[in-house]
Amino acid sequence: MKVTLNWLKEFVDFSLSATQVADALTMAGLEVEEVYTLERNFSRVVVGKIVKSQKHPDADHLSLCRVDIGGNILPIVCGAPNAYEGLKAPLALDGSVLLNDLKVETQKIRGFESQGMLCSEAELGLSERSEQLMELTADAEVGKELGQYLGEPDIVFDINVTPNRPDCLSVIGIAREIAAMTGSSLKKPELNITAIPDAIEKYMTVDIKDEERCFRYSGRYLRDITIKPAPFWMALRLHAVGIRSINNVVDVTNYVMMEVGQPLHAFDYRLLEGKKVIVRAAEAGERFTTLDGQEHELDQDSLLICDGVKPVALAGVMGGLNSEVQPDTNTVFLESAYFEPTNIRRTAKKLDLSTESSRRFERGIDPNGTIYAMNRAASLMVDLAGGHVVGDAIDNYPQKVTPVEIDLSVHQSNVWLGVSLKKEQIAEILSSIELSVEQKNGDTLRAIVPTFRPDLTRPIDLVEEIARLYGYDNIEPNVAPRIDQLQEANPRVLFRDFVRQTVSGMGFRETCNLSLIHKKFGHEFLPQKTGFVELLNPLSEDLGVFRPNMIVSLLTSVAYNRNRQMHDMRLFEIGNVAWKEDGRSVKTEKTQIAGILAGHRQENAWYGKAKEFDFYDIKGVVEGLLAKTGIEKFEQESAHDVFWDAESSKVIVDGKSCGAFGKITDDVLTLFKIKTNDLFAFYFDFDKLFENCRKEKIYNPVPRFPSVPFDLAILIDVNVSAGSLEKEIWKSGGENLVDVHLFDYYKGEQVEAGKKSVAFSLTFSSKERTLSDDEIENVIDQILAHLSGQFGAQLRDR
Amino acid sequence: MTENLETIISVIAETEKAFFYRLSNAATRDDLEEIRIEYLSRKGKVQSLFSLIGKVDGVDRPKIGAELNRVKKAVQDAIDEKQKSFQRTGKAIEFFDPTLPGRTVSIGSLHPLMQVMDEVKQIFVGMGFRIEEGDEIETDYHNFEALNIPKHHPSRDMQDTFYLSDEYVLRTHTSPVQIHTMEDQKPPIRMIAPGRCFRKDTPDATHSPTFHQVEGLCVDRGVSFADLKGVVLAFAQKLFGKDVKVRFRPSFFPFTEPSAEYDFSCIFCKGQGCRVCKDTGWLEISGAGMVDPAVFGFVDYDPDVYSGYAFGMGIERIAMLKYQVNDIRIFYENDLRFLKQF
Ligand SMILES: [Zn+2]
Repeated sequence: MKVTLNWLKEFVDFSLSATQVADALTMAGLEVEEVYTLERNFSRVVVGKIVKSQKHPDADHLSLCRVDIGGNILPIVCGAPNAYEGLKAPLALDGSVLLNDLKVETQKIRGFESQGMLCSEAELGLSERSEQLMELTADAEVGKELGQYLGEPDIVFDINVTPNRPDCLSVIGIAREIAAMTGSSLKKPELNITAIPDAIEKYMTVDIKDEERCFRYSGRYLRDITIKPAPFWMALRLHAVGIRSINNVVDVTNYVMMEVGQPLHAFDYRLLEGKKVIVRAAEAGERFTTLDGQEHELDQDSLLICDGVKPVALAGVMGGLNSEVQPDTNTVFLESAYFEPTNIRRTAKKLDLSTESSRRFERGIDPNGTIYAMNRAASLMVDLAGGHVVGDAIDNYPQKVTPVEIDLSVHQSNVWLGVSLKKEQIAEILSSIELSVEQKNGDTLRAIVPTFRPDLTRPIDLVEEIARLYGYDNIEPNVAPRIDQLQEANPRVLFRDFVRQTVSGMGFRETCNLSLIHKKFGHEFLPQKTGFVELLNPLSEDLGVFRPNMIVSLLTSVAYNRNRQMHDMRLFEIGNVAWKEDGRSVKTEKTQIAGILAGHRQENAWYGKAKEFDFYDIKGVVEGLLAKTGIEKFEQESAHDVFWDAESSKVIVDGKSCGAFGKITDDVLTLFKIKTNDLFAFYFDFDKLFENCRKEKIYNPVPRFPSVPFDLAILIDVNVSAGSLEKEIWKSGGENLVDVHLFDYYKGEQVEAGKKSVAFSLTFSSKERTLSDDEIENVIDQILAHLSGQFGAQLRDR
Repeated sequence: MTENLETIISVIAETEKAFFYRLSNAATRDDLEEIRIEYLSRKGKVQSLFSLIGKVDGVDRPKIGAELNRVKKAVQDAIDEKQKSFQRTGKAIEFFDPTLPGRTVSIGSLHPLMQVMDEVKQIFVGMGFRIEEGDEIETDYHNFEALNIPKHHPSRDMQDTFYLSDEYVLRTHTSPVQIHTMEDQKPPIRMIAPGRCFRKDTPDATHSPTFHQVEGLCVDRGVSFADLKGVVLAFAQKLFGKDVKVRFRPSFFPFTEPSAEYDFSCIFCKGQGCRVCKDTGWLEISGAGMVDPAVFGFVDYDPDVYSGYAFGMGIERIAMLKYQVNDIRIFYENDLRFLKQF
């Protein structure tokens, strides 16, 4: 919402500077986003008087003028339609510079010399009006600098009005705030309408069919209107607040809307049929063309203003093309109504048609302000368009809105704010914004809220006004700790941070990726029989769906860095992923942790050649992470999906799959335009890790008796997995076996074809005694017998 | 027969000189041991010098004795010293180059946004707040309606929302976590909800469709606006130092009343005005306010008994100030050259 300093000063006296006004408004909750002086784009422009004007002999649209600039009369060729004798207009002299760096020079135009240029307001940057010469008042001093004639340029405040303050979408509303802050009072001029006595029913009747959505409909009939451009002062103000000047009648409706906040509409009375206005719901599929030329298909949610035959306006949003004011309009029907906010908002949203009018109606204007606004506009039309008001005002007001009364406990208000204001102070604050305050018994105040403040309905709403006007700065912060409110830590959060610390401690860098991705990157990562969680209104297809797996994010980061010549990296991220189970609308959202290894574990170095990551690097990370979280053992199962069939594994804890790791497939890498196939990744369902992690740490006594190591090398078929061997060793190793460590794995010439050698270092230890050699030998025999039975294993070395 | 005093002194001196020459050439512990035996053993060279004492006049004997003791100690000390140096350097034969690069240890790091998030979390945990979490996909009810933002209300325009369906949205703030917490627990509530949020903002230097927030909530008997100002002030000063001032400006949020925007005094110019604060001396941080009683209505808290405050903050905003990052998108690029700086 834009207002100007001079406009405000019409309604309230104050001596604050523009900056002080801006600060004060901001600290009262009306954030001033910008303060600026209206720009003037001209130099060397003076007041000129056209003393002679005649048509160009060869060009109808050009006039040959003689322009008096005070002591000097210059020949000027002019193309404006209003270059008539006697007009005072701005003259840009030879060498002057106008808007957009337009330089004016003496030149010949169609054979005649022109020593300057008569200007429109647009050429001077004063408004958008470009068709006509700017018309200066009769008392303008010829030859005077235009800047001096215009006086100091006005100052504009651009204010961010929050949705709860519809009253501040008007000059008067903001003036009222300034009055409250400065202790002065609002000057709201009384309006006296002199109407030609006549029965208004002869010209117009109003029938509200939908009283739920149109609480009030007021109107006035004016005749003898002459449509012409609005005066400069009005065009300038509208320009300052960002509204285009159209003509005197339309400008008056906009001007009054900006001034008092009531949207108005002027119909060309001639185009209304049947001398009637009917307010009704649209029919489904009904078509209507608004005055911007757009045709809309409506439904019953929209409200229409109709004449006796056809719709003529989309209520509260925009007038119709079929009834707008024309250049030859001479009679006007002026509408000033109150429409139910939610409905206007719904229509504006649905039709994607947000207007100055709809913005005000949907926030809630003053239902008791329609008459004042209408009369203000009517009297301006009388002044500026030579019109006459005919008969009484029409005022159809089926849903009367009365002021709200609120009882406020002074004590409660003080508790909420943490202050100790007196009853009288509070009464004074509330009175300053035009609430009537009655002091009730004891602790209670009763406030009667004017209907221009629909946001004030409850005691807490008054507390906000009290705080705002008392000054947030004046409320002392309370920094005393409240030990009684202390809360316990959240174990899931602690675990999350522990995991992040652990993985970053293993040399991984944490990334932070967008959660939204392009579908094409996600397909491979969707769990079976699921689909994407898709956005209905994405910014673009690139951010169209929710990521189904954190590895997608990590691959995005790898690709980004690979494109910038960075090859080797270890990245991880914890984040949320989501998908939809097939045929169901319910989403599944999970927290995942994923890590990725890309490129080399080690670069070429003086102590060794470069080494690429392999499967066992990612497995080591998984083992390390699980061990750190207290999950000592897990089962493996082939995982595939985004991983190679062979080089992949699920991680199964307590019979449940928690995640997987492995080598990323070429198909996936191609998708991300990653050119090398040296990427290994893991992902876990974070909450499964959390479920299975060690929750409490309890000391397990360290053995007091010496442990006995025993190395065992066995020959076995190549396709027997080391994991199954290890499992069977544990199974047959007895209660004193405490560690199994695979230290050698060999296939090749030294062993017979189809076989491999696997060597374990076993550790035995007892809590009760030192183990004897015989005991160990026995267990080893037992293990060997078991392995031989299970896999046909042979002892290679003992 | 008595030897000339000078002759004996010179013999001692030569022995000493010869010792130090040998010692300087000792390259290994074995060499050193050999020298030790040669000089300090019972029949070693130093010991045998003591027999010379008898060959001088009685008056000169103490002098020779003292000199021999000095030499013996010097030899012993020198050997000990060399012994220690072997312990420090190991083999002393080859040139050892300590300037070769060490074996690489892979260094991990936490993302700068998460580091800021961690710091903010820690500060609030220190003030007795519990951290609560919630889903990023939320119901319209929890993200909007229960926060007093009805369906067809202009306040919905304040946030551009990603919709998944009529019912589900990507949460536009972490406030729905507050609703879930109040649905599940009774006061006193003292919690923060850190997390990821989404708004339909076209990415530019200050907007990202994904961003992070920490929102706080405290509900109890007698909680006041003054308490809110206190907690925000304490937070500001823990984060940016004791000199930071906090300013509250009236504003509007559907779920708080009174509502405020809060600013910190500019940490770069100490409030004097600079480019970063656009000469205002203040940095806009985020919003806060007293929980609107209407919100309590949605979670069955009695607004006549309880009151509460809520506050929020954008992690990106704080991180940008802290690290002087001027484009929010850098956080989401994950360029290693960026990540390595944190
Ligand atoms: Zn500054």
